[in-house]
Amino acid sequence: MKRIRNIFFVAFIMMISSLAANAQQKGGLKLDLNYNYSIPLGSFKNDIISNASPRGVTGDLMYGINNKWAAGLQLGFQDFYQKYPRDLYKTGNNEVTSAVLSNSVQTMPVLLKGVFTPLGNSGSLVQPYISAATGFNIIDFRQYLGEFGSSSNSAAFTAQAGAGIMMPFRKNSGAGFSVGADYNYVSYTKFGYNNLNNISLRAGIHFPLK
Amino acid sequence: MKRTIVVLAAVAAVAAVGCSKEPLNHLTPEESRIYVTNHDSSVNFSSYKTYNLTDSVAVIDNGHATKEITATDQAYIDAVNKYMQQRGYVQVGKDQSPDLALTVNRIYQTSSGIVSYGDYYDYYGGYWDPYYWGYSGYDYYVPYGYSIYQITEGAVSIDMLDLKDASGSNKISLVWNGLIRGEGIFNANNADAQVKALFDQSTYLQTNN
Repeated sequence: MKRIRNIFFVAFIMMISSLAANAQQKGGLKLDLNYNYSIPLGSFKNDIISNASPRGVTGDLMYGINNKWAAGLQLGFQDFYQKYPRDLYKTGNNEVTSAVLSNSVQTMPVLLKGVFTPLGNSGSLVQPYISAATGFNIIDFRQYLGEFGSSSNSAAFTAQAGAGIMMPFRKNSGAGFSVGADYNYVSYTKFGYNNLNNISLRAGIHFPLK
Repeated sequence: MKRTIVVLAAVAAVAAVGCSKEPLNHLTPEESRIYVTNHDSSVNFSSYKTYNLTDSVAVIDNGHATKEITATDQAYIDAVNKYMQQRGYVQVGKDQSPDLALTVNRIYQTSSGIVSYGDYYDYYGGYWDPYYWGYSGYDYYVPYGYSIYQITEGAVSIDMLDLKDASGSNKISLVWNGLIRGEGIFNANNADAQVKALFDQSTYLQTNN
């Protein structure tokens, strides 16, 4: 899985490199890099991992369709982990296992995304936005009883809705800070689980690629 | 600008991958261990009164068995005796028709694997960039392809067998089994706590003597 993860990020960097060069000719491209703090919800929180994850990043490459609308691609990575105290688990008809349970979930979203900025280029220093995205997450789920683990790699349908504000570094600048939150619906039905839904709080910077 | 973007993206990627929590790195030896028990649910364990426990341990190494008694083995035997007697069972000699037979076993399984140097060296530049040796831009060359390694995994098992009903059924049935796996299981100092864990999760092991 580490290899997949590394390939994923090499591809991410190569894509940004090539588009950055391309942007010199076409324009209208913007890169949004964010730190993510993600909070599990629902059955993800109740059945797998209740701890929030401070280990995540996303990168959005957005094309400005007009002053208010942009569309593009989001790639990212989030690492969820939790170790539960020793407990008894029924592992067979009459089999009981005493173990420290560790759950480890890595999600790597690949999403097509649209962003609406109602104030457009009005020159406001605070630009609210809403966003929607859909695509898939590459999921690496590892579960350990003590030091004995099993793992599963899969792709899961993902839909995302978000909102936040962008604050340009200076008036009419294309670059600035952004903060916001995304709700992620991640359909995950392996091992009897329902989903890996979460809310991501994000903070980062954005800048035009020309 | 392009260089800035690539650097930022690379920093983000490295930060994300590098900050992942590896579960195995966050386990103490005690936390690494698992205690597994299984039993025949049709058996009434209070119907047994006496037991005999072997005075040595079967060492089962990839299917080949020998008998040994090390300090660790003795610690396991002592612990099994202690917790059986706490549950009311009485130890008797083998010639005194014990209701139950107990054995302690050390189990080793060795498996082999192959390191493909081709795959390994695909990423070697990421682990040790030739720049580290002062040869920036060079490639590595590996003149051979594979290496074989072996991993030995160990476990301790404690088996409880029904002697009381053996003559009626022409078989000696396994009625309870405890298995211990993980780090430090062959340390004599850990034996008592590990056997206690097996008995603690087997509350049905109880008789009324």
